Amino acid sequence: MAITSSKDTAISFSFLSPFLLFFGVFLIFPIFYSFYLSFFGSPTDYSLANLDFVGLSNYFRIATDMQFWWSLGVTALYGLISIPLGISAALALALLLDNKLFGKSFFRSAFFLPNVLDMLVVGVIWTLIYAPKFGALAQITTWLFSEDNFFNTTGLLGSPMTALLAVVIAMVLKGAGFGMVLFLAALQNIPEAVYEAADIDGATEWQKFKHITVPLLRPIITFMVITGVIGALNAFTEIYAMTSGGPQVVIGGETVGSTSVAGYYLFKQFDAGNYGYAAAISYMLLIITLGITWLQQRFMNRDNGQEVKK
Amino acid sequence: MNSTQAIDHHNKHSVKAQRIVLFVFLIAVMISMSYVISGQLFKFGVMAFSAFVTPEGPDAVTEAGKLMQSMTVVYNGLAVVLTIVLTIFVVKKFLALGQEHRMPFIKRMVLYLALTIGVVVVLFPFFWMLCTAFKPSGQELVISKTNPFDIVPSEPTLDNFRRVLKVDAASKSMAAVDAIEQKKNFGTYFLNSLLVATTAAFLVTFFAAMGAYVFSKKQLPYKQQIFMLLLATMMIPGMMFMVPQFFMVCKMGLFGTKWAMFLPHLASVFGIFMLKQFMDTIPDSLIEAAQIDGASEWQVFTVVIVPLALPIILTLFLLTFLFHWSNFLWQLIVTNFENPLSITLPVGLALFRGQYTSELGLIMSASCFSIVPIAVLFLFAQRYFIEGMTQGAVKE
Repeated sequence: MAITSSKDTAISFSFLSPFLLFFGVFLIFPIFYSFYLSFFGSPTDYSLANLDFVGLSNYFRIATDMQFWWSLGVTALYGLISIPLGISAALALALLLDNKLFGKSFFRSAFFLPNVLDMLVVGVIWTLIYAPKFGALAQITTWLFSEDNFFNTTGLLGSPMTALLAVVIAMVLKGAGFGMVLFLAALQNIPEAVYEAADIDGATEWQKFKHITVPLLRPIITFMVITGVIGALNAFTEIYAMTSGGPQVVIGGETVGSTSVAGYYLFKQFDAGNYGYAAAISYMLLIITLGITWLQQRFMNRDNGQEVKK
Repeated sequence: MNSTQAIDHHNKHSVKAQRIVLFVFLIAVMISMSYVISGQLFKFGVMAFSAFVTPEGPDAVTEAGKLMQSMTVVYNGLAVVLTIVLTIFVVKKFLALGQEHRMPFIKRMVLYLALTIGVVVVLFPFFWMLCTAFKPSGQELVISKTNPFDIVPSEPTLDNFRRVLKVDAASKSMAAVDAIEQKKNFGTYFLNSLLVATTAAFLVTFFAAMGAYVFSKKQLPYKQQIFMLLLATMMIPGMMFMVPQFFMVCKMGLFGTKWAMFLPHLASVFGIFMLKQFMDTIPDSLIEAAQIDGASEWQVFTVVIVPLALPIILTLFLLTFLFHWSNFLWQLIVTNFENPLSITLPVGLALFRGQYTSELGLIMSASCFSIVPIAVLFLFAQRYFIEGMTQGAVKE
């Protein structure tokens, strides 16, 4: 038996080895390598050789880097706007589609389609839609009102007050179909009998929605919050495509980008050749992500505990 | 007749009248939406046809415009006929219903109208992209003064596509155009993206299928622990790997090569997870039966497991293809711009947009190279896309 088992292990290992090789080299090793790199300085000539050992100074620099903390704030704001908007849009579409409809699969596919399209391209198209003077929105508002309207003169992406919101709208419209499919699957799993029982008790539509539909959709909402948080922390392409972190605003003597999210700021540092500093920032982001995940787990466990008690 | 009866009678009448008014209003909205949307779609078909059949030349734009003019009746007619048929259908259905069924019918009409508006809002950017790509240079800004909903160009041209493919330069003076400069076009970028995404998707799926087979069906010491380790890495945000992976790729001497574009992403934990979930449902007895028939380990994998798991393998293939097709940030940082022939689509578009900021038609036709193939692929394989992408979330 022992011989077969070690032979089995060898076979299993040989099947797994290509995956494990790439997993170890490109996913496990970088975690440590990144930590190592975060103790080095920035080469002046963009070369990877001759990095100076600088000890913990990258981490001290983060502590006093206004731009970094600002970008974290923007990331939080991005998440705070996009997650509720995204969930409401997806839920609204799912509720509309959760009926016996002719052409249901057509609507489902049409709403889902933008999800599979390239983020950069979608961002570029929306930039042109928002663009003052020649964008689609500017043309429509010019026709409706006058040439002297906000969409035609500044554009949504041109004002620090609206730029982030404009990015969120584009991304919500791109991503709504994804959550919609999830909600739709969950809605169809809710037995009709539950609603009928509520009808007998004289519940209004709103009461049924609040006390039956929403609680049963909780797992999906939790999932969308988690992916939304990860999405906000990883946000880069949409910002690169639509605003390049701008428009700039001056706050407390410091010029900061009104849409400069953490991912974009990290890229900026990397692009400027501050490799060690970028590695340190990635570590900070990792710690923040793990912290959020931990909190999330705690809340989820608490919820599960309640359900068990019932 | 006493007074309460009279009021009752009166109420019934007013409710009936209200329904009729509501219905007429909805019908009006429906007619205008149907006419505008179908009109635009039919016009787009005619427009694309005219643009393609008109031979290249100095008067191509006016020629195509004339051709479209001659077919105005066709697309407008089709839109009118479609709208009339739809209206008759709806009105007939409404009138055939008893009074008590009329309000639900009106609600359903509102539902359809809301959904249609939703589809228009979500898909408008892409339709606008397609339309603008056919507009002649300098006329992207011109909208119809009489009808702002008319966004399909009336004088279409393929010039934008010719320019992003650099076909126009070739026909003018081949000698004057540098060979590399000539190849630096969206045809090349498209092929690069196709090559990178296909190779990556093939390798990722292959490795993940073998790995998932082990995790699902084979014995391995510390199997559970290894699997937990894999899942734990999914928590790490992708941005985190940018710096170290870039250093590794550079130290391996792969900077600027196509290998660099997908090598770090060959181990897909998500893929292993997805395939394992599916393989768990394949009964062990099938494997045992094959082994009794004398199948080798490799044969069990290729003859039993892979064919049974083919739908999910195909799903993973498509999703990985999509990931690499749009993997902009990583491809941007490992592209060597001194070697323009290695540029992929998203990087090419970002570069191109920097050069032609206000040439909407050019940017839009360049965007088509990324969007249209994926949209077509989605049309044929939407089930795989939708189920695959949402699978991670709906697992119980």
